[in-house]
Amino acid sequence: MATTSKQYKVIGEELWKGRAEKTNAELFALTYGALVVQLIQDYEDYEEVNKQLEKMGYNIGTRLIEDFLARSNIGRCVDFRETGEVVAKVGFKSFLNITPSVTHGGLPIAASPTRSSTASPAPTIPGATFTLTLDENPLAEFVELPEEALEGGLWFSNILCGVLRGALEMIQMQVTATFISDVLRGDETTEIKVTLVKYLEEEVPVGDD
Amino acid sequence: MTIYSLYIYDRHCTCVYYQDWHRTKLPKPAAEGGILPAVSHQVYPQPQQDTISTSDPISTYSSPRNTLSSSSGVVVAVNEEQRTTTPQPPQAQSGLSFDEEAKLVYGVVLSLRNMIKKLSGKDEQFVNYKTSTYKLHLYETLSGYKFVMLSDPNADSLRFVLRQIYSGPFLEYVVRNPLVKMDSKERGIDNEYFRTSTDRMIRGLSVFQ
Repeated sequence: MATTSKQYKVIGEELWKGRAEKTNAELFALTYGALVVQLIQDYEDYEEVNKQLEKMGYNIGTRLIEDFLARSNIGRCVDFRETGEVVAKVGFKSFLNITPSVTHGGLPIAASPTRSSTASPAPTIPGATFTLTLDENPLAEFVELPEEALEGGLWFSNILCGVLRGALEMIQMQVTATFISDVLRGDETTEIKVTLVKYLEEEVPVGDD
Repeated sequence: MTIYSLYIYDRHCTCVYYQDWHRTKLPKPAAEGGILPAVSHQVYPQPQQDTISTSDPISTYSSPRNTLSSSSGVVVAVNEEQRTTTPQPPQAQSGLSFDEEAKLVYGVVLSLRNMIKKLSGKDEQFVNYKTSTYKLHLYETLSGYKFVMLSDPNADSLRFVLRQIYSGPFLEYVVRNPLVKMDSKERGIDNEYFRTSTDRMIRGLSVFQ
C-alpha cells in the first residue's frame, strides 16, 4: 500500500487529535529534566547517564510500539526508507506532536564504483540510515546545559534514541540510534541518526523431535 | 454461536495467555515446566487440581453442545467420554496436556501462515480456518503477538474482536501495566484486570451465547 507522505501526515495528525489523554507539556519537560538531573547525581558520569537514558528509552519503546500499532493500524513498511517516513510523520507526531524532517542515506555495504555514483542507495540493505532533524524538542523546553555536562558529553534527550531502538526491535528491525548534534550543546540543529543493523528473523518454536 | 477459547502467543513462540469460556473437555494442566507461569491459573501445574478457578462454573458442561464428540481446539486423543453434569474435579479432560495443546495450536497457525506467505506473497494474511466443530481465528500484530480465538463453526470472522482485545484490554492492562513483564521469556501476561476485562468484553458480544 503506497502511502504518500501527505497521507502519513494526515494519519499522524488524526492520531494526535484522537488521543484521549494528553499530558501537560511543561509537566512532561520538567519531569524529564528532574529525571536527568537525578541520574546525573546518581551516576556522576555522563557517559553512564547516556547509557541509562538509552536503556530506559528501550524499555519504553518496546511497549510504545504496541500502542502505536494498535491505534494506527499501519501495515508493514516496504523498506527502511518508508520506516523513516512513518517514524517521523506518524510516530513522533502522534506521541509528541512534533514532525521531525527526515533525510535518508546510507551506502550499501559492498558498494561498487558504478553504484556509488547513483544518488539513491538500496534502502533495504543493512547500513541504510535515516536522520531525523528535530526543529523543536519538547523534552528540552527549559533546559540549559552547564559546562561540565557539555564537556562530559551528555546527550540530554538520549531517551529518544532508546525509544526508537526498542520500538523498532519489536517489529523485527535491529537498529542503532544516536544523536549527531543537539542545540543544547550549541550545535545548529538537533539530529538523530538511525542506522539499520539487520532485519531480525522471525523465531520458530523449538522442535522437540 | 459462541466462543470457546482464546490463546495469546508472543513473538518468542510461547503461549503467554489462555482463557476459555466453553469447552467440552477441560484442558489438562500442563506438565511441570511445560508452560510459563502467569498464563492461566487454570492450566498451571499445581498439586491440587484447581480446574474450576477461572472457568465459568455455570452449566457450560451440561449444555447441549456437549453432544459434540470432539473437544474444542486441536486434535485431541479422546480418552473417555464421561459427561459429568456436576462441576467437580474429575471432569472429562482432554488427553493432551495444556502445554502440548498450546504448542500444537501455535504450530498449526505458524505452518498455515508460512505456507500462505510462500504461496501468495508476503502481504497475504491468514485469517481463519474452519473444521466441522470449530473455527479458529487469528489476528497477528506486526510486533509478533498472535491472538488466536476458537469459536463455533458458524461464527463470522472474529478478527475484529481480536483486534478489539488488542487495542482495548491488552493495551490497557498489559502494555500500560508496569507490573506485567512483556516480552520476557519467563512469564506470561495473566493478570486479574486483563482477565476480567477480556471476559467482560467477550461476554458482552452479540456472538457470545
